[in-house]
This record gives sequence, C-alpha cells and structure tokens, in this order.
Amino acid sequence: MKTRLAGLAVAAAAFTAGLILVSPASAARSQGRGGGGGNAGDVDAAPAPRLPDGRSDLSGLWNGGGGIGNLAPGEEMVMTPWAQEIFDYRQDPNQDAANEDPNLYCLPSGVPRMSPYPWRMIQTPTHGPETHIFIIFEGNIHSYRQIFMDGRDHPEDPDPTWYGHSIGRWEGDTLVVDTVGFNDLFWFSFQGHPHSEQLHTIERFTRTGLNTLQWDITIDDPTAYEKPFTVTSRARLMPNDDLMEYICQENNTSGGRLRGPAIGPGGE
Amino acid sequence: MKIRFAVLVGIAIFMNVSVQTYAHHAWSAEYDANVQKELKGVVTRIEWTNPHVRFYVDVVDENGVVTNWDLELQSANTLTRNGWTRDALGVGDEVTVNAYMARDGSNRGNSRGNLRLADGRLLFAGEPE
Repeated sequence: MKTRLAGLAVAAAAFTAGLILVSPASAARSQGRGGGGGNAGDVDAAPAPRLPDGRSDLSGLWNGGGGIGNLAPGEEMVMTPWAQEIFDYRQDPNQDAANEDPNLYCLPSGVPRMSPYPWRMIQTPTHGPETHIFIIFEGNIHSYRQIFMDGRDHPEDPDPTWYGHSIGRWEGDTLVVDTVGFNDLFWFSFQGHPHSEQLHTIERFTRTGLNTLQWDITIDDPTAYEKPFTVTSRARLMPNDDLMEYICQENNTSGGRLRGPAIGPGGE
Repeated sequence: MKIRFAVLVGIAIFMNVSVQTYAHHAWSAEYDANVQKELKGVVTRIEWTNPHVRFYVDVVDENGVVTNWDLELQSANTLTRNGWTRDALGVGDEVTVNAYMARDGSNRGNSRGNLRLADGRLLFAGEPE
C-alpha cells in the first residue's frame, strides 16, 4: 500500500512538474537541474515550514512574484508630471524607446521587477541569530540581493545602486525588507514605468503555505509618484528544479534592433 | 537517440503545464508578428546560449543564391526546462521553419511554433506571442 501511494505521489509530482516519465533520462532530469520546470500546484500541501528557532523558513527555489502589475485593493499609481513625461516618451510610437530598457542589455532589473526565471532565497545562518538574507537570481542576469538582518540602519548617504541598500526585520512570520539607495536606471516594467533615486521600497514576504510566498511591495518615490502605492504578488515554489547558469551577456544580440515604443513580451 | 529525444520533447511539451515564455525583451518589437516566412534549408551552426539559442540555416532560392539566416529560439534554460537538449537540432539537419521576420530588415528571424525536420519530426519552439 505504501509503495503504491509513493508511486502515485511520484507520478503526481512528475505531472505537476510538467514531465511524464517515459525514460530513465527524463526521470533523471526530473530530479535535478532543468528537470521540473513547473511550479508547485495551486494547493498548498502543507503549512509553511519553520527554522529550528521558530522563524518562518522562506528558503527554497521560487518562481514569479514582483512587478508592479497588481495594485492592492484601493491603491492607485499616479505619476508626477516628471515621471509622466518620461513614460510618455517611452510609449511614443514615433520613438524606438523599446531599445532603451537596460534590461535589454543584460543589466539588472532592480526592485521589484522580476524575470521569468527562478530565484532562491537563503537565510543565514539558520542556527543562531540571523545576519543576512540573500536572494539569488538566475535571470535576467546572475545577480543577488543582500538584505542585512543584523539590526543595522541604512547608511546616511548610500551610493545609488541597482538593488539599493536593504535592511530586514521580522514582524511575526512576515519578513519586512526596507530598501533605499537605488539608482534611477532600471525600469519598473517593460513599458518603462520610471522612478528616481528617491525610491524607497518596503517589501513584505510571507510564506503562507509550503508552496506560496506572498510578496507585497510598497513603492514610495515622491519624485516619480504623487503618493506611495502598494502592489501584491505571489511566488510559487519550484520543488523539483534548481537554479541554472544564465549568462545573459553570453549571446545577447537584440540591443539596438528593436523598433517602436516600449512594450511587453506579449505586445502589451 | 535523436528520435527518442524528439518523442520525449513532443510528450514533454504537451504535458507541460508551465511552459515559460521568454521575457528578456519585447519580442514583437524586434520581430514583426505579421510577417512570417517559410524557410527551408540546412543547419550550418547552432549556438546553445542565453539569452537566446540561435541557429543558422542556409536557404537556397530559386536562382541558386544561398542566404544564411540567423534564427532565434527561446533561452537555453527555457528550452532545457521544456525538454530540449543541446543536440536536439544538429548541424547538417534539414529543417523547415516558419520564421517571423526581423523589423530591421536583416536576415534574422524568430522561429516560433514547430521546427520540422526532413524526416518529419517536429521540435516545438514555443508559442507565437
């Protein structure tokens, strides 16, 4: 009985991962790098795990989340005239602003824009007082975010960077990440939503179940947006996959070849 | 081995509920979604790379003039997750592709949909967007 159940579980997992076991080769792939491809199902099979000291365990390989596409209920995004002018230029059908997205040139996507590739969250150490949390990205480029968990403050005048200066704290089971010190180079979206160096983000990560990471983001940038706004997102666990090497600079030949306004991959 | 792989690809694609779409840039800003051309020729080179896999095909026209086309697929990582391997397509393979033409007028195209090999095998390259 146990064996049969285990077999069913394996079959279900393989189906969820998007592969059917037709050969030992495919079976091997489903166990490791590049094998799964799929997210976990929509149903959380178990509660969120915890570290030995009781903290919520956010570690794992995740896919999705981020972006500015889903405004929280009651929220609105209102650009300042400064931001609107930049955005209108990027949307101008008579320009080729599609070529100007730094993301196209394999530069980082900043916060909170994400690529369609998985990312891994790492809490360290897991035994003893937490000092850092890292978010390791497969793409758009191999890069990482560093979140200080040791109680330090932001520097008074941080040098502007792509991912900014992040400090984190726990509010119950929610990791709250406060980031300042961004540069103004990355775009929030394919469409070219702008921001300034005044950008301040507050992210709230809550693992609501084994497979689900709720990720809400408040964007506060008085130069670019008339008032702060909050977006919601959700990442899904990819239990059968791993990070793969993704060197975007390896063979990127698209820069300068795009035509027309900044639009998304689906033409949106 | 190749046949077995092609079968695997076909099955994996049909079963895959989470085929990831490429999102490094606006696909339709580089290629014209309304201009598609059937290209038939022999594969001369394959670059199994990110952010795109590229393969090059010699196409002979009715006057015997050979043009080498630079054809784009999704990233190596996305294709791998969708069941491809780096030897799914080989130099010397005869292939037919419905490619979306580059907006800049160069001999570049984006090959979405199926790649048909001379022996009838199909390799799924991703949905047109």
